[in-house]
Amino acid sequence: MSIVTVQLGQCGNQIGFEVFDALLSDSHSSQGLCSMRENEAYQASCKERFFSEEENGVPIARAVLVDMEPKVINQTLSKAAQSGQWKYGQHACFCQKQGSGNNWAYGYSVHGPRHEESIMNIIRKEVEKCDSFSGFFIIMSMAGGTGSGLGAFVTQNLEDQYSNSLKMNQIIWPYGTGEVIVQNYNSILTLSHLYRSSDALLLHENDAIHKICAKLMNIKQISFSDINQVLAHQLGSVFQPTYSAESSFHYRRNPLEGFKDPALYTSWLKPVNAFNVWKTQRAFSKYEKSAVLVSNSQFLVKPLDMIVGKAWNMFASKAYIHQYTKFGIEEEDFLDSFTSLEQVVASYCNL
Amino acid sequence: MGRRRQRVDPAAGARAGALPEAIAALSRSLPSGPSPEIFRRAKFDRPEATSALWQLLFRVLSPLPAGNALASLALEVQARLVKSALCSQGYPRLALAQLPEDGSQGSRELLLALSWLLARGPVPEQMLAQARVPLGDEMTVCQCEALASPGPPAPHMEAEGPVDVRHVQWLMGKLRFRWRQLVSSQQEQCALLSKIHLYTRGCHSDQSLSHLSVTEAEMLRDPEGGQQLLRTLERENQRLEAVLAWRRSELVFWRWMDTVLGTCAPEVPAAASQPTFLPWVPERGGGELDLAVRELQALEEELQEAVERRRVAWEAKAGGCGRGPEWSAARRASREAVEKELGALQQCWERDGGPAQPHGPHRLVRREDGAAGDRDLRAAVVIRTLRSQEACLEAVLRRLQGQCRQELARLVGALPGLIWIPPPGR
Repeated sequence: MSIVTVQLGQCGNQIGFEVFDALLSDSHSSQGLCSMRENEAYQASCKERFFSEEENGVPIARAVLVDMEPKVINQTLSKAAQSGQWKYGQHACFCQKQGSGNNWAYGYSVHGPRHEESIMNIIRKEVEKCDSFSGFFIIMSMAGGTGSGLGAFVTQNLEDQYSNSLKMNQIIWPYGTGEVIVQNYNSILTLSHLYRSSDALLLHENDAIHKICAKLMNIKQISFSDINQVLAHQLGSVFQPTYSAESSFHYRRNPLEGFKDPALYTSWLKPVNAFNVWKTQRAFSKYEKSAVLVSNSQFLVKPLDMIVGKAWNMFASKAYIHQYTKFGIEEEDFLDSFTSLEQVVASYCNL
Repeated sequence: MGRRRQRVDPAAGARAGALPEAIAALSRSLPSGPSPEIFRRAKFDRPEATSALWQLLFRVLSPLPAGNALASLALEVQARLVKSALCSQGYPRLALAQLPEDGSQGSRELLLALSWLLARGPVPEQMLAQARVPLGDEMTVCQCEALASPGPPAPHMEAEGPVDVRHVQWLMGKLRFRWRQLVSSQQEQCALLSKIHLYTRGCHSDQSLSHLSVTEAEMLRDPEGGQQLLRTLERENQRLEAVLAWRRSELVFWRWMDTVLGTCAPEVPAAASQPTFLPWVPERGGGELDLAVRELQALEEELQEAVERRRVAWEAKAGGCGRGPEWSAARRASREAVEKELGALQQCWERDGGPAQPHGPHRLVRREDGAAGDRDLRAAVVIRTLRSQEACLEAVLRRLQGQCRQELARLVGALPGLIWIPPPGR
């Protein structure tokens, strides 16, 4: 079951690189702490999912790289090729000469339609290479220009053309004290559009990862590369193959039992339905034991509410709106976005 | 239990062994059919023949192809299922419903039931079709199953308490995901089939087919599996021959069944509303019994009145949603409306979709030259028909969605002070 990754914008491409790198180096790591047959099955499954084979044996990532300027894509391509372990496909990228200056509306209403055909063509070729295609993994930031506006447009297109495939968007939540003034506008527009066309939104907050780097890993000068690597590590462990159903033969105390406390769950869904555990014998990335929790919880209500609040305040005074209306995003679209997100907040609050 | 004198009709079954042969053929043509001896004993209503006949009837009547799970059901359960299946098919004799389910008696009645089923339709052929081994890669193109009417109503399940709409939404989401996974798997299967057909061009000894199917390719790869397939096909052949033998000799069987029917006591024609299980009341103590019956009846009437009063009061409060005679009438009306819609849809398909699709599975064959025989279906034609059917269905769906939206808007409009924000259109 193969997944095609779409890396959008500077953020998406940098993270995407780290993810593939983490996946492949884990797959090749020698300390699997399991039998050889187990290890081979694991490697084969990981390879099939994320990479395709080439004649000379170097795996090619099943990825499509999209950006409006060539700098980041070129960096990403060369870093992959340098590793010697894997690389990106030759014709798997799409980039233009100019950027979009962090203008969401430009990314969505101009870049999107203009380059729709080319981008969808590249994606289609990548999908056709898969024997058994399971879905898309789209990496983008929420508050940027290209990554966000174009990403929302591309996801919508994917929903139209591949309505039967699953799509998961990996979104980077910007720093609370971000540098881009209109990041809140961008965020709410991105979220409300993605909410309609995507099946799952996986959120990572820059602030949270920053804390991990600072406190848990004791990195003094935290760069984006550090942040991206932590992210990739988390994503990697989510994506690596696990057992589908049966429990292991040996009796093992399950440290995740504690999560079955009903108080953690909503009243209308029993824990057995809401909580799924996937296990694997093989160790991830040289850790003896590791666990990853992906949850859909009220955790995001506060950050979301904050962003919506700030955006609303700006909107109330019509600040910077002309940048959007210039390219076809009307005030009504803003209002629709606010409405959708308020509904999301409300439904999470009413769990 | 003396031997009864049978009136032998010299014209029928003149050859001595004709009847046992006919019954043996019937038995071979059915899955796990009992021996002719069982049939003979059943004519005389011998108890030892009963359980074999219950099991045979169960195999014939169960809707699913036989699996180990079904065979291991207890005799009582099988017997009950047989009774209810025969009842819903309209079996006319009351005696069957009154038979004990432990297999202690009733073999003659069961024999009559079996012959009733055999007379109604081609049972051995149907069972054979259910269990056949497809050699090619097959799919069905007719939409019979899709348009089948809802069937007998499922046992009515009252919801326990209020149902949380969020749970329903969650279930809907899960269902949607499963559906998409199914579609992706099907697409994957089609892609793989296409590859196999392409790569095995020219391998088939039958020129008109030219390429191998999955089963055939697998047979080449795994000789042991091939042997097993061969054995299965041989068994199927034997059953086919048994069916043919049965059809040649069944007249003998029917004449014999007449004599079986003759040995039964004449039965009162079944009442219109057939109670399935009649209680067995011992006939004694007449006077006290009458008094008890009268008291019980009076109590029942009192209770009914009380229930009625409460129900009316509750409905007045709750607006009759979900329960009550109004609701079941509404449900009945909506079921009838659905059946009418299905009928109209079928007509629309027949009108717009071109030639009706033939029934049953078809073997998939990939041909380069595009030549097709008379009875072959072209994929392009099938696809066109299916697309037009899809368009019909989409139109109906949009119409129904529009009606729903209007209804919602009307309901919402009736509540003052409520702002209605419809979800972003998808």
